[in-house]
Amino acid sequence: MAKLPDGTALPGRLFIVEGIDGSGKSTQLDLLHKWLVASGYAVAFSEWNSSPLVQATTKRGKKKKLLTPTTFSLIHAVDFANRHQQQILPALRAGAIVLADRYVYTAFARDAARGVDRDWVRDVYSFACIPTVALYFKVPLDESLRRIITGRPNLKYYEAGLDMGLSDDAFESYRIFQGRILREYDAISDEYGLTLVDASLPLVTQQQMVREIIEPHLVGAMRAEPNPWRQVIAEEHLSGRYLDHLAGGT
Amino acid sequence: MTQVQFYGHGLPAFQHMDFSGKLIVLEGPDGVGRSTQIALLREWLEANGYAVSSSGLRRSMLAGKGIDEAKRGHTLGDLTMTLFYAADFADRLERDIIPALRAGFVVLTDRYIYSLIARAEVRGLDKEWVRRCMGFALVPDAIFYLRTDVEHLMPRVLTSRGFDYWESGMDFLGYSDYYTSFTVYQNKMLAAFDRLGDEFGFYNIDATQSIHKVFVELCAGVANIVGEMKKPDELRSQGQTASDEYMNINA
Repeated sequence: MAKLPDGTALPGRLFIVEGIDGSGKSTQLDLLHKWLVASGYAVAFSEWNSSPLVQATTKRGKKKKLLTPTTFSLIHAVDFANRHQQQILPALRAGAIVLADRYVYTAFARDAARGVDRDWVRDVYSFACIPTVALYFKVPLDESLRRIITGRPNLKYYEAGLDMGLSDDAFESYRIFQGRILREYDAISDEYGLTLVDASLPLVTQQQMVREIIEPHLVGAMRAEPNPWRQVIAEEHLSGRYLDHLAGGT
Repeated sequence: MTQVQFYGHGLPAFQHMDFSGKLIVLEGPDGVGRSTQIALLREWLEANGYAVSSSGLRRSMLAGKGIDEAKRGHTLGDLTMTLFYAADFADRLERDIIPALRAGFVVLTDRYIYSLIARAEVRGLDKEWVRRCMGFALVPDAIFYLRTDVEHLMPRVLTSRGFDYWESGMDFLGYSDYYTSFTVYQNKMLAAFDRLGDEFGFYNIDATQSIHKVFVELCAGVANIVGEMKKPDELRSQGQTASDEYMNINA
């Protein structure tokens, strides 16, 4: 069961993944997502920094380099609050499974690496539900850097942590920044008891481990039939030609 | 040929006119699967030789974008919202729906004035005023209402777009959490739809059934309406399916 910050149990299950860039957490969560949907569960999915509400603001801030560590932190808190209120919490109240790609621990790690006060960030996010399982994909820094930097011409300003003036070289700055985040994650992992996954193992092995960890928490979760229209198309000899471009309007 | 009939005063340019097409409305709450059924119906009707046009709220060239923008800002008052939707609907009626009906199309519309009336009513607007405002609407040939309960709506809403501010009644109910607000709002809407169903003559379809059962029931109803548009021997006969059966029975 997921919990409200005060410890009240919610009927839904909240599974979240954390880890530095290039840890492979999104790949693993995607595989988990497909497996849960195929198993007939109602799954809501929420991704860090994806709320349409602040997109324009974030874009402007990044493009014009307007963001300080504090405003950077708060903009992400706005994004999270919006998704928490509109997607995560209602789905948990209804008894569904919620998957989150990054959660509050991303803010705890990243903002602390930028020098923001650790207690303050925790206060800002104190409204967040407590996950049923929080998976931390731990990978050695060099391995994650290899995964990220290979085939990429350049890194973005804030992504590389260039706003902190750690180094003039984007790649060097990124390496220092990611190293700091990794240290924060390790401390957070102990503080909150995150479930460790060795992200240097083969992908298939990791997914097996992830499913084994998640499975015991699925009993009684809300179910939903995936693509229930398939049967209609088959039985009525239709192709489903107009189902592809459903406007989803109200 | 059907003589045009409006709910109220009607549209000035389109009085005393005959339409060879049929206007079929699908109503139902948010997330009940209206658009899926319309997509299936459209293909089925076309397979049977009917020209089909479809329409839905906020798809007007004139006001669709404006409503989207206004909804994002959460600055719409109840009255303004109702009128904005009325403008959107009038534009679609004059520009898309009526021309298609005159040309002999089957027009499938995803929602109609009943959704607008229900939304206005639960928000406390004057019932008579709303009906007079929507008086320019054509009386459809059939209104199919996909009837369900909140419990059945929940998984669909959760797994697709998540909770929408307006579909949860967050603009007026005063709850801070979406789950409670959505439940209360949708229950109010379902009750309003039931009242409107009696008033306007909805054909109720139990949408808690499987999508296939709902589709077959819809086909039966639609076949009744469109059957008179062409002669029986023109109907497709090979490859009998559950829905084809209705085509033949009613032909």
